Amino acid sequence: MPRFLREYFNRNGVGLGSVMLGLVLFWTIGLIILPQLSMLDFSFRPNLPPPEIGGPKDVYTLENYKYLIFGPEGGSQDYNAVDLKVFYRTLIAAILVTLFNLMLCYPIAYYLAQTKGNHIRILALMLIIPYWINEILRAFALRIIFGETGVLNNLLVGAGVFDTPFDFIRNDIALYAGLGYAYILLMIFPIYNVIESLDRNQIEAARDMGASWTRIHRRVVIPYAKPGISSGCTMVFMLSAGALAAPQILGGPSSLWFTQLIYQQFNDNSDWPQGAAYAVVLLVTCILLVLALMRVFKVNMGDIGK
Amino acid sequence: MSAGVGVNLENLWIRFGDFVAVRDANVNINGGDFFSFLGPSGCGKTTILRAVSGFLEPSEGNVLIGGNNMKGIGPNKRPTALIFQNLALFPLMKVWENITFSMEIKGASAKERRKRADELLDMIALTGQGDKLPAELSGGQKQRVAIARALCAEPDVLLLDEPLSALDLKLRQHMRSELREIQKRVGITFIYITHDQGEALTMSDNVAVMRAGVIDQIGDGKTIYNDPSTAFAASFVGENNVFRGTVKKVIGNEVMINTNRSGDLMARISSNNVGKMKEGDDAMLFIRPEAFSLAPLGTQGDHFVTAEVHKEEFEGNVFNIFMEGEGGKEMKVSLPNLGQSFESHRGEPMTLEYDVHNAVALPAGVLATE
Amino acid sequence: MKNFSLMRISIWVYLALFFAYLLGPLVIMSVTAFNSPGFPRAAPWECLTFEWFSALFQDERILNGIKNSVLVGIGTVILSVAMGLAGALMLTQIWPKLRATYYTIIIAPILVPGVVIGISTLVFWDRVNRMLGLDADSFLSSGLFLTVIGQSTFIASYCMLVLVARLQRYDNALTEAALDLGASHAQTFRKVLLPFMRPAIASAAVLAFLASFENYNTTTFTFGEYPTLTIELAQKVRYGITPAISALAFIIVLLTVFAALFNEAKIRRQELVAAARKTATVEELETGKLRLPGFLSSNTAAVLLVVVAMATIAVVGTATVYSPAQCIADVKETKRLETELRIQELLQRRADEAARRAAEEGEQSDQAPATDATPKPSNDSGFGNVFNPGTLQDGGTETPEEEPENSGSGGVFDPGNLQSN
Repeated sequence: MPRFLREYFNRNGVGLGSVMLGLVLFWTIGLIILPQLSMLDFSFRPNLPPPEIGGPKDVYTLENYKYLIFGPEGGSQDYNAVDLKVFYRTLIAAILVTLFNLMLCYPIAYYLAQTKGNHIRILALMLIIPYWINEILRAFALRIIFGETGVLNNLLVGAGVFDTPFDFIRNDIALYAGLGYAYILLMIFPIYNVIESLDRNQIEAARDMGASWTRIHRRVVIPYAKPGISSGCTMVFMLSAGALAAPQILGGPSSLWFTQLIYQQFNDNSDWPQGAAYAVVLLVTCILLVLALMRVFKVNMGDIGK
Repeated sequence: MSAGVGVNLENLWIRFGDFVAVRDANVNINGGDFFSFLGPSGCGKTTILRAVSGFLEPSEGNVLIGGNNMKGIGPNKRPTALIFQNLALFPLMKVWENITFSMEIKGASAKERRKRADELLDMIALTGQGDKLPAELSGGQKQRVAIARALCAEPDVLLLDEPLSALDLKLRQHMRSELREIQKRVGITFIYITHDQGEALTMSDNVAVMRAGVIDQIGDGKTIYNDPSTAFAASFVGENNVFRGTVKKVIGNEVMINTNRSGDLMARISSNNVGKMKEGDDAMLFIRPEAFSLAPLGTQGDHFVTAEVHKEEFEGNVFNIFMEGEGGKEMKVSLPNLGQSFESHRGEPMTLEYDVHNAVALPAGVLATE
Repeated sequence: MKNFSLMRISIWVYLALFFAYLLGPLVIMSVTAFNSPGFPRAAPWECLTFEWFSALFQDERILNGIKNSVLVGIGTVILSVAMGLAGALMLTQIWPKLRATYYTIIIAPILVPGVVIGISTLVFWDRVNRMLGLDADSFLSSGLFLTVIGQSTFIASYCMLVLVARLQRYDNALTEAALDLGASHAQTFRKVLLPFMRPAIASAAVLAFLASFENYNTTTFTFGEYPTLTIELAQKVRYGITPAISALAFIIVLLTVFAALFNEAKIRRQELVAAARKTATVEELETGKLRLPGFLSSNTAAVLLVVVAMATIAVVGTATVYSPAQCIADVKETKRLETELRIQELLQRRADEAARRAAEEGEQSDQAPATDATPKPSNDSGFGNVFNPGTLQDGGTETPEEEPENSGSGGVFDPGNLQSN
């Protein structure tokens, strides 16, 4: 037995150590690494009926990835314009949602972190409560509000802003509001945690030297809060890009989110390899985007999840 | 109680990668002794303790407890109990549950445990405090609970890892005598780790002085203090004034050293080094501050030292005089306050005398750094 | 000073808007659970009703979904807390050179889209199943197993984060002390480490259950023959919505508010007690004569908890004695009258038109009452109904005004609306 293993078992006991090691290996290898590799492998295979799997036709192919770019073979178009557009729009929209969320949440996080008092705890509670409620129900609540006969339209028409009810759903406004709504907490908390540890005297000192509020934030608070901001942005971006419930419930009939395409491939077309390929594309693109941003803003992986 | 169980370390080596934490330690601890390992932090004394308690496997050599080799026996199977530096009281258990944890492990009933806890609480003078949480006790009380918890396990050997270091000075001094008292009462072997020579000397039957993984000297307090066997032991245990030089002449158990700044001085060779010092060797001569007495100014001879006075302090029982010493370090002289008159000699030279028997000559070596 | 107060005001306005955005939808959704129209809406208010709650409790699919959700939740809690704890413990002892890589691996599932986790779980276990030569309906391909496995993949990461935060404050000397006192590793784990970790394990378990309960993205690929509540809700919401869902949402909101307030009140109380003990003298502590603060004193959350509890009792009490039949009948009656009126109007108009084709008066008079009908008066009557059933008859006379708008637009989404009312 290698030395580190012997030390490990000495420290934890054989029984307990084995259980612990077993659980960790099961999680990391059985639940995280192998399934991802399996999905990757699957995405390079043709869609075959079960009896033919492992047969002579089961060879590696780039077909599924080609499909995303060029569309069905012998199709009328040069490129798979529909799917590519959905993919592109999903990413752009997820970025916009992230930015919107950041702007919305930064003042709140700052206020909560730098203000003392009992009411802060109640405010924090009010922040958490919506997050405990089912994602579907949150989307449903927004559907009630944004619906054609929803509260918002009632108000706006009643106030004479619009003559006829505005279709928030078809115009994707409901979708963006819903995505922003869904991940508010994940943006606020990392930023809040970092700003809370910022010494208030630093802000006082900067103010003492006559710095304006914008300057204090630009030069003192934001640089300090960078790990929290990037952590929040990463989570919100990944979750928005990977969201499925909100687009299904709040998206208009024409606007497909990329995850909805994956869902269709799996559930409606029963083309698992194609769906897996799309999932791989989504995952890899998101990870690359996040890594690139982390490189640009010089933040480490270790800061995520703090 | 019985004579207690002895502990033997045989050719003990402990390595962490390339770093040698303990180098060839050989120690025999008699049953029922209060034995201290004394050394500066990082000298390997805690490592030895962890090897005895079983948290560490020696790289080479053996640990014997009561003559039994402990190789491959885990900490929970050894007849030792350890008192941790930070005490490690279980924060969520009440005091009495803490104390009787070892009985709970063995499946003793709550009633039995409660009874034993009350006995031990009486012993440590915390009667009726069993239902408190550790966090609600003072530092000294926690200390005593930790001792009671360890004693409740009825170990053959009690190991203490600097348990007093977190206490304030006054409490520390009080706990010293209390610990010694408890040890005498229960009669088991105590192995005590400390970097405080005062603790080691006041409590221990025997002391091992350690430096950088090596045991320099083992002996009772008086021997260590009066007859150190290395320069390190001489400088680490108690205050000492060092004179560097070379051996000029060896006369039986005494030696004349040509010191760098005070000419030729006589000293007794430390008993472990008799016969090991030769003419021309680099040597060190140590004289304790209290070994000096005043002499007429300018007296010459092989047991007189003359130097300029830098600073004077009155400490109550003694006058401390700090004189120009070697290498920028001051030489300290403590004269007992016997009611004599004392004039300031600041900035003036002063001549001191010592008894050759009280000056120790040692081969040159590493000194303890303050 | 003026600047300062201006800023304060803008902060408060911002906070108000923010929380309106955050909580408004939930409030409105909850309100719709008590309104009688078949399409969930808060305004115009028709009748206070509790029928959507009974509709909810009679819905087999919802009940089955709840059952499955609880099953999945229990499985996920056990698996992900166990893995999260093992993962957190491993993180504290792993070889330093491997730590960063290991941390990245176990934190990654949080960032991986749930859809991807669902797919990879499905694909991987399908393959394992085939490799083992098992049937398509084996345990490894059952929806229950796959959902628990898929959810635990990332929920364990959340648990790990919660647990590691507590573990960092654990003094390893406690483990050594227990071992030294003769405990086995298992005893040490059970008697020392686990009690220390208990609060964190409890929060991790709650977090895991909630995350499991509300998960959609992963579950939608793995649920198989075990649709969870979320899946059922999503099906319902996607293909037509009813206030029964609002009723369910209201119950969940209420439970959440209860749990949150209770938890908050408990924490606050502990803080107050700890503070009291700190300032207390030794004698007070020793004699046990310490006066501890009351449960409600300077504890906003506790006060709110009591208020919410009393409000809930009041509502449930009302629900048991209240019958909206009269109101609904009234509304039905007015609607019938309205329809009759319309038919007559129509007939009238036709007759008029037939009589005077050139004149445009008829159309003018038709539009006049419609523009008059703002939702406001009907709202008042609606709330009047709540508190004073005796005004039902009076309210009935007012309701006609709201009707044109209601039946006109409500039918767009739910054609069944008209019949059911």
